[in-house]
Amino acid sequence: MTATPTVPGSQPTIHPDVRLSRFNPLPRILVYDDFNSGTHGWVELLGNYDGESNLDTVDDHMHDFRPPQLSSCSFFDVGTHGAMSGTYALKVSTRPEAGHTAVAIRRLTMAGRGRVQFETYFTYKSEAASAENAAARQAGGGEWDGNIHPSERQFGAFTVATDICDGVRYHCVARYLNTDLDNQLRQQWVYPTVPEPTPREHLEGKVKLDRLADFTAPNPEDWKPFGEPQELCYNEVPTKVNWHYLRWQIDTSTRSNVELQVNDRIYDMRDIPVPPYDEEYRSLGNLLNFYVSCRTHTNVRNFLFLDAVLISVDW
Amino acid sequence: MQQSLTVVLERNALLSGVFTTEPYEVAWAREARWFIHVLDTRGTGTTLQATTQISPDGLHWCDLDDHRPTVAGTGLVSWPVREFGGWLRLKGRVDGPAESGEQPAAKVMIYLALKS
Repeated sequence: MTATPTVPGSQPTIHPDVRLSRFNPLPRILVYDDFNSGTHGWVELLGNYDGESNLDTVDDHMHDFRPPQLSSCSFFDVGTHGAMSGTYALKVSTRPEAGHTAVAIRRLTMAGRGRVQFETYFTYKSEAASAENAAARQAGGGEWDGNIHPSERQFGAFTVATDICDGVRYHCVARYLNTDLDNQLRQQWVYPTVPEPTPREHLEGKVKLDRLADFTAPNPEDWKPFGEPQELCYNEVPTKVNWHYLRWQIDTSTRSNVELQVNDRIYDMRDIPVPPYDEEYRSLGNLLNFYVSCRTHTNVRNFLFLDAVLISVDW
Repeated sequence: MQQSLTVVLERNALLSGVFTTEPYEVAWAREARWFIHVLDTRGTGTTLQATTQISPDGLHWCDLDDHRPTVAGTGLVSWPVREFGGWLRLKGRVDGPAESGEQPAAKVMIYLALKS
């Protein structure tokens, strides 16, 4: 049995607290991360290492996910844009290298089973061109037609995901694929059909990924679309920041997705499979991790900004 | 309570020639401190020299000052910086004797410790 998605228009009463009234939390709020007061536990994801603290034993593809930044959303043309609330947002930034992924993770455990909901206000940008970064001459660049800016084709994808273990380990994942690997606009929500390769599988000789592998699901064929394409508000140029609402709900009692809301679209995700690991993992009792990632498909830095994060549960 | 944040900008990275670290946003911080830990070197007589760079926009960079700490061989070096605006990075170079015949390189951890 899977949870019933929210019916549009039947949202709970708007919360009287001005900080929460822009969210739709489940009854118990586990996490409210306002990035004007620090990173709130969002940290760079790093692969595991040996008992000697030798970081050379970290998998190549999980070695350089970049530390998240407290960003004032400042740009060359206007200076400080600022966040949706206050000055600072959490920024996840890739290197300017096609295939590079940046990942920030939030680590929790579960005190019950049931619905879990991740909400945020986000925006996404490619780095503006300069003489040093030569972004204008990288793949995806090209003519400006007065509306669509070439930098929009230089943003690859962003992902919201979990790592959960209740005895069985599984990941719920949703990705906005802005462009394909040829830097053509896709603007499509996708999900992986395979579980994420783990450091233990590498240690056991089952998988060895390259430094720039797409670690969530390395084979592009293992990503499938859900819903219709959704045009977001990149807002033409790389230095204008418009905040988008995202609400993603899963059900840990059934190890399933429930729904994804992004602004005025609600995607029913109940039938979207969540591939579990076949093998048992120890040391992960009640694991409940959330991660966000940003992946560039060209030699241009890609940025994912989160104004705030709210995680709520019904247990 | 004041805010603090330590980040690892390079992790066991093998640097050679001229290098820059990735831009890092620090507008919220009043003070910062760099740590460069040279874990290993390739080539004999290898040195790593670095200096703090600042930027108005994360795109265009200049040196903050004339301070250019150097690590000869392995070791840990640290220095504080203040009044740096909104962005920080390091620019540096790895050198060695020309006659060594091996491209000099340094395996480093680079930390940036920030406080509001």
